[in-house]
Amino acid sequence: MDQIMVFQMMVSGAFMGLVYALVAYGFQLTYATGKSINFGQGELVMVSAFICLSLTNLGLPYGIMVLLGLLCGALLGLFVERSAVRLALEQKSEGWILLTIILGLLFFSVSENIWGRDDRPFPTPISSDAFQVFGISVTPVEISVAIGVFFIMGLIELFKRQTLLGKAFEAVSTDRDAAELMGISANRTVMLSYAISGVVAAMAGVLISPITTVGPTMASALVLKAFSVAVVAGLDSGFGVVAVGIFLGILESLTSYYIGSGWREVPGLTLLILALALRPTGIFGKAVIRKV
Amino acid sequence: MLKRLVFVLGAELLVAVLLAVVPMAVDNSFMLGLLTLLAIYGILLIGLDITVGYLGQVNLAQAAFLGIGAYTAGIVVSRFGFTLIPALFAATAVGCLFGRLLAFPALRLEGPQFALSTLSFMALTTTVLNELEFLTKGAEGLQVPRPPIFGFMLETKGFYWLCLIFFILVWIAMKNLLTSQWGRAFEALRDSPIATDAMGIGAHRHKAIAFTIGSGLGSLAGGLYAFSMQFLQPQVFVYELMVILLLGVVLGGRKSLWGVFVGSTIIVLLPNLLSNLLLFEIFSGIGFLFALVAGIRGMVSRTTKPFQAAAPIIAMGLLVTLGLFTSNIEDWRKAIFALMLFAVMVGLPEGLMGFASRYLAKLFRIDPLPFPEQAEISDVLIRQETDGRPLLVLQDLKKYFGGVKAIDGITISVNSGEIHGLIGPNGSGKSTVVNVISGLYAPTSGEILFHGKILVKGSLLKVAQLGISRTFQNLQIFSELPVIDNVMVAMKSIYQTSLPFVLLGLGQKSIRRAQSESLAILDMVGLRDEARTIAKDLPYGAQRLLEIARALARRPDLLILDEPAAGLSQPDVKKLLKIIRKINELGITIILIEHHMEVVSEMCHIVTVLDYGKVIAQGKPDEIKRNPAVIEAYLGFASEPEKKGTISRDAIPELS
Repeated sequence: MDQIMVFQMMVSGAFMGLVYALVAYGFQLTYATGKSINFGQGELVMVSAFICLSLTNLGLPYGIMVLLGLLCGALLGLFVERSAVRLALEQKSEGWILLTIILGLLFFSVSENIWGRDDRPFPTPISSDAFQVFGISVTPVEISVAIGVFFIMGLIELFKRQTLLGKAFEAVSTDRDAAELMGISANRTVMLSYAISGVVAAMAGVLISPITTVGPTMASALVLKAFSVAVVAGLDSGFGVVAVGIFLGILESLTSYYIGSGWREVPGLTLLILALALRPTGIFGKAVIRKV
Repeated sequence: MLKRLVFVLGAELLVAVLLAVVPMAVDNSFMLGLLTLLAIYGILLIGLDITVGYLGQVNLAQAAFLGIGAYTAGIVVSRFGFTLIPALFAATAVGCLFGRLLAFPALRLEGPQFALSTLSFMALTTTVLNELEFLTKGAEGLQVPRPPIFGFMLETKGFYWLCLIFFILVWIAMKNLLTSQWGRAFEALRDSPIATDAMGIGAHRHKAIAFTIGSGLGSLAGGLYAFSMQFLQPQVFVYELMVILLLGVVLGGRKSLWGVFVGSTIIVLLPNLLSNLLLFEIFSGIGFLFALVAGIRGMVSRTTKPFQAAAPIIAMGLLVTLGLFTSNIEDWRKAIFALMLFAVMVGLPEGLMGFASRYLAKLFRIDPLPFPEQAEISDVLIRQETDGRPLLVLQDLKKYFGGVKAIDGITISVNSGEIHGLIGPNGSGKSTVVNVISGLYAPTSGEILFHGKILVKGSLLKVAQLGISRTFQNLQIFSELPVIDNVMVAMKSIYQTSLPFVLLGLGQKSIRRAQSESLAILDMVGLRDEARTIAKDLPYGAQRLLEIARALARRPDLLILDEPAAGLSQPDVKKLLKIIRKINELGITIILIEHHMEVVSEMCHIVTVLDYGKVIAQGKPDEIKRNPAVIEAYLGFASEPEKKGTISRDAIPELS
């Protein structure tokens, strides 16, 4: 019985880990092109989730609600890029770190005042009645998380490989200066990456809301773990995030089972510090050669 | 001089006295509480400014160090009955310890990674404070009685004076530290960690010390905070407090003690500002007008970009609108902090004090401190005896980057006292040779002998300390420091004063001596008149000369000049040649990497030519110029220079 319980915890943890991986994937997208990440990404997840909730309450069908939610995510991502990142990148300063933190705080405060501080349930047409697989209960909502994560990541990877715009994206990621000399606007590519990253954040919001409920603080712990996953996997390595995400999800689920739910954030944070100390480029990342 | 004394010291004294006598004039416990908090935040922000201002890194852990200090003090007092001073000492020590521990991972990191490591440290601290209930009582909160100091119980007023004394002591110590060699080293580190190591200063050590001191101050403030509040809860030391602290430093002005003072005043007053709508409207209105005027002026004079001018106006405008449409602005607290911080970051990056000090300096016309007498160059760079024997020997040196053989087994001997030219087409491995010798890269195989002994591999710092100094092809000057400080920071002699003495303000004499010696070196390269200029404002050619001056300040046995003439105009090249000759006459051995054949043949005693990571020729400049292998490497065809052939590389030297 106890063993089944442990497996149960691991499976639920793994589904949660997929969401961490998705948000971490959003960090990788913007880091690839502009060498910057949005420290307020968690707030994008949260705001998009709230917007989706409001759209649903207006009576829109689920599919249209999701599409509109993703669109909002893209717009929010563009807003972050324009107001917090571009100037700092132009000045070659690291001001974007503080500015994205600040924007996150602004989003937090605005949503707290518009939608209230309470956690609210998120209606979804997908059933949350569990069914048993080898004695472990899995809900369709959890399955939908896995499908959604792989669907959106696959779509973006396909876009990067198959379309001209996507190839421009890859070009800027590989060598910004060379890409600019070939007539690709690095600025626009960074914008594009922030928009896609916003879509990814919104998708994460839609996917986890049925599980975690929607509230201003829903993503503040999530984003820390996503940082952790992104750094451990390597900020510039593609699919490593999925493996690390699942690993972290399982690890924290077991931590809260064995030690206590108050400690559930600890493995992620410790992993983050350890990864930064031992291998700042991540497990799957390449070592950088210092040039002078 | 007198003016400086009156205005600079006078202002500090005046504020200190004012702060000290306020409680005697106004007996108001609310006011006293604010003043106490001002002193505590002052200490906390001075600590934060070391990392945010001087090291230029986004440090998100300072709120955690406040918490660590507060809980340490609280626990040792309530559990072990410590008195006040030992409790504060314990708090500071624990803060320094955690700061040093966190510095291990944070040391090697820059920018976002540094911010992330401090962010996760903060989140970890909050978790631990919440969960270690047997120590901290968790969310329930910890009662902290105010302990006696030397047998006396301090009343509110007495405790305020104690905090003020600590604040003043910290202020003085930090002023001493930051104007000393250490402060310069911190700033050098921010501008170029690589050059900090290459100049023998030690990037890791200084970063660790800066971070440890900053964290210790945070925890000292935490100890005082515990005895001031007498009740601690983990949820105080969280993300929001950290944003407020950063607001204090950024708004007040980075790299400035006065900025910190202004910043802490503002964050102490903020809650009161938010509790009164009228007051809030007045201040946000003033901010809006300020942003409007500054923005329009910047747009008209075209000194600021449209975004930089418009964004603060929009942000402050939103604040004013917010005040008009909401009755309870307390609910919007976070948005208000965010908008203020945003407007300042974008529109006034140097902060209020940075902005004000420019005008104040003009208004009172305070002259900078005069320089001491310039030393004799012959006393600074003492002529070394040269014996013509091998000084540096490379034995079958190899460096591969994956499959790329950047250096593929070269053997070179550089004799003491000579100028040894190292030439070759682009991509021939010249810069890699320099980077391997100077320790930026560890070689794949092979040995380097210096003074007949095996040289350490892969450590810029250790190689520099052994007497090899270098310049960089892509300039690595300390761009935000004045020219003279760029040279001073590389001087060995001046590091001899140890940290405690520096904090006490001793060691001024060695600073004066370093100044006079630096002036002599600057005079030698012709930059004496630019000593006060900020390095980034120098023209390009002068920056190259500054790199040489800085490398000379190390008093090296071997000087490696990595393409010193790149991008220089013809008259500048002439100047450079004279300087190189002068340096060589002082007995300093030089390795000169160069493209200009003219420079090489005029200056070098012996020339080594590299191609594809191998030595293809070595000899006197005249022989080299006639060597068919060299001509082929450079021009892509052998021995028929008059025939027009395909030119395979972009580096065509001027064959004169």
